[in-house]
Amino acid sequence: MILEMKGIQKSFGGLEVLKDISLEVDSGEVVSIIGPSGSGKSTLLRCATFLETIDSGEISYMGVPAATTGPEGYALYVSEAELRKVKSYFGLVFQQFNLFPHYSVLKNIMDAPIAVQKRDKEEVYEEAMELLRKMNLENRADAYPCQLSGGQQQRVAIARALALNPAILFFDEPTSALDPELTGEVLKVIRQLADEKMTMVVVTHEMPFARAVSNRVIFMDKGVIVEQGHPEIVLGAPTQERTIQFLRNYQR
Amino acid sequence: MTLSTMLSTMGAGMLRTCAIFFLTILFSLPLGMVVMFLRQSRFGIVRVITKIYIAIMRGTPLMLQLLMWYFGPYYLFGMNIRGYRLPAIIIGFSMNYAAYFAEIYRGGFETIPKGQYEAAEVLGYSGPQTFFKIILPQVIKAILPSVTNEVITLVKDTSLAFTLAYNEMFSIAKQIAASQTSFMPFVIAGVFYFIANYAVAFGMERIEKALDYYR
Amino acid sequence: MKKKLAILLAMVMIPASLAACGSSGSDAPAYRFLEEDLGTESYAIGFRLGDEELAETVSGAVQALVLDGTYASIGEKYPDIKDFLCLTAEGIDEASLPEKGSGDPEYVFKHGFDLDYPPYSYLQDDGSVGGFDVELAQAVCEYMGWGYEAVPFNWDAKDMELNAGSCDCIWSGFTKEGREDLYTWGITYSDNTQGILVAGDSDIKTLADLAGKVVGVQTATSAYDMLEGDRKDLADTFGELKVYETYTIAYNDLKAGAIDAIAIDLTAGSYLIAGDNQ
Repeated sequence: MILEMKGIQKSFGGLEVLKDISLEVDSGEVVSIIGPSGSGKSTLLRCATFLETIDSGEISYMGVPAATTGPEGYALYVSEAELRKVKSYFGLVFQQFNLFPHYSVLKNIMDAPIAVQKRDKEEVYEEAMELLRKMNLENRADAYPCQLSGGQQQRVAIARALALNPAILFFDEPTSALDPELTGEVLKVIRQLADEKMTMVVVTHEMPFARAVSNRVIFMDKGVIVEQGHPEIVLGAPTQERTIQFLRNYQR
Repeated sequence: MTLSTMLSTMGAGMLRTCAIFFLTILFSLPLGMVVMFLRQSRFGIVRVITKIYIAIMRGTPLMLQLLMWYFGPYYLFGMNIRGYRLPAIIIGFSMNYAAYFAEIYRGGFETIPKGQYEAAEVLGYSGPQTFFKIILPQVIKAILPSVTNEVITLVKDTSLAFTLAYNEMFSIAKQIAASQTSFMPFVIAGVFYFIANYAVAFGMERIEKALDYYR
Repeated sequence: MKKKLAILLAMVMIPASLAACGSSGSDAPAYRFLEEDLGTESYAIGFRLGDEELAETVSGAVQALVLDGTYASIGEKYPDIKDFLCLTAEGIDEASLPEKGSGDPEYVFKHGFDLDYPPYSYLQDDGSVGGFDVELAQAVCEYMGWGYEAVPFNWDAKDMELNAGSCDCIWSGFTKEGREDLYTWGITYSDNTQGILVAGDSDIKTLADLAGKVVGVQTATSAYDMLEGDRKDLADTFGELKVYETYTIAYNDLKAGAIDAIAIDLTAGSYLIAGDNQ
């Protein structure tokens, strides 16, 4: 088991955004999370990547606990040092890319492996160029983010996350900030990663993509997981009323 | 007095003017960073004190502050202030400019999107790494034009050191003007300030250009 | 009064002699003082209140310098001041004066003065610090066997400098009148008269003519104090009393015709106009 989240509960100023959510992701699995805005799907991702702290529940990566239940029932995070180790297991691709504007494409990808993981420069360079080839961007290595299209930027962001060799990669609506004609190139890259058995969790609005790529689709609404299972079932023959409603609205 | 004597006499003052300028830059730029962090401290009392400090520094004339820094130790603690003129001037200028720089820095940090911090965190950068590698370079680019303005003001403000009778260039210009009943020293002073500020503006523009490679 | 007349005479004479050479079309000097003055005052050395011993020693040394002729010979170098030197050997009791070289050789006398105040204390042509007061103070130190330290200060901050101990005295064409209780006073070594300086061709002849005119003065000077104090009645008749940071600027304004007159002591005023009246 790569990721295990159990009984996650999270409130923002009295408003319960996540209500007792549990999520397990196995090696090689591609999980899509869908749902209306405000359903808590992005918050779930941010809790999984420690950008938000959970109120109660448990999180562990590769069997290593990151947050456990404390004596008073509240979540208890492990020490900063242990958390750093856990953080190296996952990567996150943002909706807004969040590339570092003052670094070239190559430096965006190479800097964290060198500065954070203290890896050998030569080796990282080889790997970064390999990643850029994979993203079909090898000729833009020296460009700066502002010189790239949104789709290209997002592919660089994916390469940057992959350069740290994470066990699991999260995507937070990776195509929502893109012009429609640019979403294809990003989805193609994610699909390619799925073919290579990369473990991924994707929050998305792209239903056809979710259907084609995922092993499992989770439908969330109002802070709970309403329905989950094989994409053909959740998207093709949902059993829950709310899922049916959502998909009907989506198609319109 | 010949023109060359005038120039060499004022030249000694120009060195003192430059000393005030460079020492103030050296101390006030980092100090402004400290003030900015204190202003956003977790402790309410620190925040309040820092805010009062900034308000005083920006709300009272620098000339008055210089008098305070120099004579304050004597009037408050009866201390011997011999040889304390230049340090008092540097402290006065640095504390004053740090307050202005702190506000400029704060504005600069506010232009950095939250996503930059989050990206750095997810990629595993430590706090200091995030600050120095990711955030600070972008802040510097954002604040450069405002800093240039302050630095140019500082060049001209150095003449306020005459309050403490530190013989910088403008004080000497005034003395020569009095003894020679001549306007020439003021013309020389004007040319000096203009050239100094031209150099500052030129240098800052070069830096701005060098950072122009990204948006 | 005699001295004043002498100055006035000199000022008329110089341009007159120039005119004789045909270099000027007019007999009038470029700038002149009104015959009426604002009053006469004494220049003395101001010490910290209670510093009687130092005041007495320095005053005694100045008197000794009068006796040995140094006082007069320094005066010779400053023609604008010479006529206002009020000390003579008459009445000085030599026995009461400190012995030559009797001072503590470790002691450094810190002479506080304004470097903007010629001819008492100002920058010399070679860029060094000098002036009548500076030379006299140096002579006092030499006489006593003390060290000398020049402490030029900003005139507005003179009291703070004195109280804080960065200097031992204020000695820079310093007027005693009106400040009797504020300092322990040393000897009065010069007197001076406050006058009104106007352009040679000005129609202002008397103090009464100043009514409605713009008069310039330097801040924190005796002329200024006088116009704000004893002669406030006169100042009230002015169109405006314009206060300047230095007399240099005021003089430039007078030259440019932006103001009608300057209230200034005769010594400093003579120094100011010397260049233009030659």
